[in-house]
Amino acid sequence: MSDPLAMPKPSAQLRAMLPGLLLIAPAILAIALLYVVPLVRSVVFAFVDADGGFTTAHLATALELYRRDVIFTVLVALASLCLIAVISIAIAGYLTLGATPWAVTVLRWLYRWPLFIPFIVAGQTARSFLARNGLLNSLLIDSGLMDPATAQSLLDWRGLVLTFAWKQVPFVTLLLAGAMASVDRSTVEAARNMGAGKLRCLIEILLPQVRGTLSVGLILSLVTIMSVLSVPMMLIAGNPTMMTSMMAHRVTYYGDYAVANALGLFSYLITVVAAFVYLRMTLAQQPENGR
Amino acid sequence: MKRTIVLGAALSAVFSLPLAAQTLNVVTAGDTNMVDYINDYLGPLFEEQNPGVTVRALGTGPGDGGSQAMYEKLTAQKDNDVWDVDVGVVHQRMAGQMVSEGLLQSYRDRTATDELVNAANAENALGVDVSGYVMPMFQSQIAIAYNPALVDNPPQSYSDLVEWAEANPGQFGYNGITGGMAGVGFVFGWMYAFSDMAETLINGPFDEATPASWSPALEGLKAFNQSATITPGNAGTLDALNRGEIAMGPVWMDMFYTWVADGRLNPELQLLIPTPGMPGQPMYYVVPDKAAQAELAVKFIELATSPEVQAEGIVRRFNWLPGIDANAVKEQLTADEWAVLFTDVTPEVLAERGMSMPQAEYFSAILEAYERQVSN
Repeated sequence: MSDPLAMPKPSAQLRAMLPGLLLIAPAILAIALLYVVPLVRSVVFAFVDADGGFTTAHLATALELYRRDVIFTVLVALASLCLIAVISIAIAGYLTLGATPWAVTVLRWLYRWPLFIPFIVAGQTARSFLARNGLLNSLLIDSGLMDPATAQSLLDWRGLVLTFAWKQVPFVTLLLAGAMASVDRSTVEAARNMGAGKLRCLIEILLPQVRGTLSVGLILSLVTIMSVLSVPMMLIAGNPTMMTSMMAHRVTYYGDYAVANALGLFSYLITVVAAFVYLRMTLAQQPENGR
Repeated sequence: MKRTIVLGAALSAVFSLPLAAQTLNVVTAGDTNMVDYINDYLGPLFEEQNPGVTVRALGTGPGDGGSQAMYEKLTAQKDNDVWDVDVGVVHQRMAGQMVSEGLLQSYRDRTATDELVNAANAENALGVDVSGYVMPMFQSQIAIAYNPALVDNPPQSYSDLVEWAEANPGQFGYNGITGGMAGVGFVFGWMYAFSDMAETLINGPFDEATPASWSPALEGLKAFNQSATITPGNAGTLDALNRGEIAMGPVWMDMFYTWVADGRLNPELQLLIPTPGMPGQPMYYVVPDKAAQAELAVKFIELATSPEVQAEGIVRRFNWLPGIDANAVKEQLTADEWAVLFTDVTPEVLAERGMSMPQAEYFSAILEAYERQVSN
């Protein structure tokens, strides 16, 4: 018989952990099968040639043909995030500091609508709204604000930025308004008593306290923007366009998953940076929450 | 009371099983109109003629991507005894690949409508011999739509078109090669016109050195693009024509007629096919090698390629050109209905200027050369 004191320790520990492990197993399995495996597969296949050997040819093709699209994607994503940040701060700030109750109510009721509209519908709406002879220009021309000859189509990067912002602002605002509402009002009241204007209160008192929430909202928006296919497909004619569109093109017309995967690598790189920042921030926040 | 209901439901479920025993899975590539065609018209018709059969239609998405999805669906279950696709509707390029990889069965001689098939592309799909494996569902053709109010004297050849576009910057629009086949077809027509090797591009054989000789044609296209508007997608071109943003642009003829019939497009617009010609393509009915209901599938395709169905479904309801011998279909239609198909483009012009898509390898090579030299 073996020593009864030495052996049971690890197995008892394991037994204690077992219910927990069993509980999280489905989730881990789902993540592994539906997320990690496809991710690893697509990264690997970006570097495998037809005979199964290692190659960087797909990466070279992706860079040669779609370099401009990669840069375009980054710039459009950044521009969208800037616009989203500015508008969300403005709306959330007014919801928190606004002094006209009916205006706050109307705004609170209105701003969430785009949350419930799918990207593809937003894309179609933008297409008929922003075209050269679309609704926006027609309104401007009819109201005498624009000369018909100078009307131009906004269906390029500007259309993308506007559509992404329109779709993501409610999401970020929702997070931000929630965070601002939970900020200790006394700090704002104190600043107001000292004579600070509303704008100053928003920028110097409220915003620094909800900076973390804003970043989380923007990072999640970035990941969403990087993955949308329908909007660039519907708005952008020709090149450059968003990477998703070119990945789809590669698969549709050439059945070429290798170059599409190589192109996907750039998406991963960009989102990995964002994910890293996101993780660092949530981990840094945790001790505070735990206290 | 509750128990009786449950028992009753269980019993009726058991008894209704044998009735729904036969399900015919029709999987179709192409736009939603393809699924509509099966769900709204052909499926119910077949179910009515074959009691106990349920036709289930599934769409795999527009363009060659839809056919690609079906190809992947079949290869994924290659080692199974039975596959879950009974009838497939695919584009030309993938049909060739499926035949050469042994994914399809030869069925044409088992249909009664075999002798009505007379199209050349029923024998040869972009350079691959598909004789016996496919029957065309319909033929469709790319043409240039123009607005007579803005274009008095429409150019009749690609060379004239270049001059016209230069004189009218921004007035010609097409959807590049990433937004749908109408734009791709326009580029193929351009290559037929300016590469001096239309025959080789269509019939092969493929030579890897050839694409290098396309530079002048592609440079010309790059210059042409400077004065052209790039539209987002096949529908984008029609939208832009409708809003008067462009005066000319390549479109699918069937889509054009459908939009006009639905009141979505200015009926004043007209069609033309410039010389030397523009490509068109059929979609094919195929039966996968290990289809569960192969006999039923053949029967379904026989109905689909009968003159009555081709007249009512393909021509009258969906504005496509018939897949089988046009003369057999013409007998089923009034003179007026027939004339609608050929209002702007006469049968003679169609016969002379309606060309095939390039051979499969040139197909990809032209697209990639375009990406390399024109859009970059």
